[in-house]
Amino acid sequence: MEDLGRIYQLIIPVMGHNITLNLDVILMTWIVIALLLVFGYLTVRNRGVRPHGLQILGEMFVSQLYALTEDALDKEMAKKYAPLITALFMFLLLCNWIGMIPHMHEPTKDLNTPLSLGIMGFFIAHYAGIKSKGIKQYLKEYCEPIFLMAPLNVIGELSKIISISFRLFGNIMGGAIIVLVVSYLVYSIILPPFLIAFFSIFIGAIQAFVFTMLTVVYISVQVK
Amino acid sequence: MAVEGADIIKAAAFLGAGLAMGLGAIGPGVGEGMAAAKTCEAIGKNPQEAGLLTRTMLVGQAVSESTGIYSLVIALLLLFVV
Amino acid sequence: MLNDIQTWINVAAYTGGGMAMGLGAIGAAIGEGYTAAQANAAVSRNTELSGDILKSMLVGQAIAESASIFALVIAILLLFLSVSNPSLLTAAALFGGGLCMGFGAIGSGVGSGFPAGQACKGLVRQPQVAGKLTTNMLIGSAVCQTPAIFSMVVALMLIFIDFSGAPLLPTWAALIGAGLSTGLAAIGSGFGGGLAAGASCEGVARQPETVGNVTTIMLIGQAVSQTASIFGLLISFVLMFKSYPESAALTASMCLLAAGISSGFGGIGPGIGNGMAAEGAVRWVARDVENAGGLMRTMLVGQAVSQSTAIYAMVVSLCLIFVV
Repeated sequence: MEDLGRIYQLIIPVMGHNITLNLDVILMTWIVIALLLVFGYLTVRNRGVRPHGLQILGEMFVSQLYALTEDALDKEMAKKYAPLITALFMFLLLCNWIGMIPHMHEPTKDLNTPLSLGIMGFFIAHYAGIKSKGIKQYLKEYCEPIFLMAPLNVIGELSKIISISFRLFGNIMGGAIIVLVVSYLVYSIILPPFLIAFFSIFIGAIQAFVFTMLTVVYISVQVK
Repeated sequence: MAVEGADIIKAAAFLGAGLAMGLGAIGPGVGEGMAAAKTCEAIGKNPQEAGLLTRTMLVGQAVSESTGIYSLVIALLLLFVV
Repeated sequence: MLNDIQTWINVAAYTGGGMAMGLGAIGAAIGEGYTAAQANAAVSRNTELSGDILKSMLVGQAIAESASIFALVIAILLLFLSVSNPSLLTAAALFGGGLCMGFGAIGSGVGSGFPAGQACKGLVRQPQVAGKLTTNMLIGSAVCQTPAIFSMVVALMLIFIDFSGAPLLPTWAALIGAGLSTGLAAIGSGFGGGLAAGASCEGVARQPETVGNVTTIMLIGQAVSQTASIFGLLISFVLMFKSYPESAALTASMCLLAAGISSGFGGIGPGIGNGMAAEGAVRWVARDVENAGGLMRTMLVGQAVSQSTAIYAMVVSLCLIFVV
């Protein structure tokens, strides 16, 4: 039970402010990034016209997510944003799945990871919007239906960051807590593996996909 | 255990914030779900217009979410300003 | 009179037990009634199948009943429990546990009536796929029970964990808030999961060959519908296990109670809305199976957007607990 709130932190005092680093999360994120790099390297090492082995898996990821981006944006935009979307999905998927391994934690269980990804998506979407519509049209849209609504429209946009990041955080954290508590209640007999299968594999994959989809959708809403 | 007036007012503000956001979340949740259900139906009938229908759904949902955002604004005002 | 702790514990346990069973009976009764009504309509269409329909109805009702059986278990526990370390906080915890289970059983009870009713209706339409239909109904209504199981877990923790070391004054509100959060949030998710499962049974009866896709989309839709109750559960655990400084001010207590109310009520609407979105998607996957991928994507986006108010409610709860 006491595992619930324990976080390993490195606190560096700099000029009266404390800079707090969550070592667990940083380490896990690096492990995920390293695994993805290794996966990328192994995928393209023996590439051929007839895909085999890992190359099939890699091509599947890329082509599926490319098609998804193309559906939501148009062909030109997809070329630009599909690599980002593919990388985002693969990163989130591995982040959500890595908690299945004992002694590993999902980096997405810490609010900082989803929040920074959400802020990143927000800025990319608005950059794309300004670029495709021009700054004048972009600003004008905030004054719909009348200019008095502008503050509420801005809050509405900002709340997208909250909803996208807290959705991922809440699901992964909730799943982790349920697994922990139920394991404690039934003395780790029989039930926990099924719960881990449900929450890690199933919910983790769905939420990674939802996060990616929403980033695409936010971009497409800004662009169109 | 003397309860002071300011304490009661603050407590009421917090309770009000919880009620405002909690009850205010019901309507938009159901309404946006209805929009999504109807969009799925429309895509089922007319699959080639999926992109247009999804965008229309998102705009409609954004409008019906505005009451939820008003609740959020009121709740945050009650928490931090009042 | 305030000093008589045992009296207050008994008062809380008995009212809590009454609430658990009273509220917990609402959902299952409505769900089973819906099943029976659909079964009657089905028998009137084809009286020769009445035996099969009766069997299917009873199996479906047995599952719909499980939510109220959880409530019965909690109510009996509350009535006959002897508390080892009595304090006024135990009274709050027992009352919170009763409320949690009572509210939590409503949604799942009503929800699992839908797949059972649709299965009876479908049986008369396509008697030869009875096996597939029953399997699909069982999976659907079992997943519907998840929110009720969450409520039961929280109720059991409130009843059996010894909170007596914590300071009474803000913690009583945290414990009741924890019960309300999971219990109320489970209403929407249970109901919504039922809508999706009902549509999938209807779909299987219409197009039995699409059963694989229909069941998959149903499970994904239900899993996303449960997000609202997972948020409620998260807030409950934070409320139960955070330690609070003692404070006689009303403000501190009301903060914690309001946190539970906010995330609890906030989960109802999005849970139902997500279920509706899943219902629409599952129904049309059954009719137009080539388009399953596109429908699933639209469903997920629609559900994600309609969840956002539940997320705002969770954020307000977290602000109430940690910031204020």
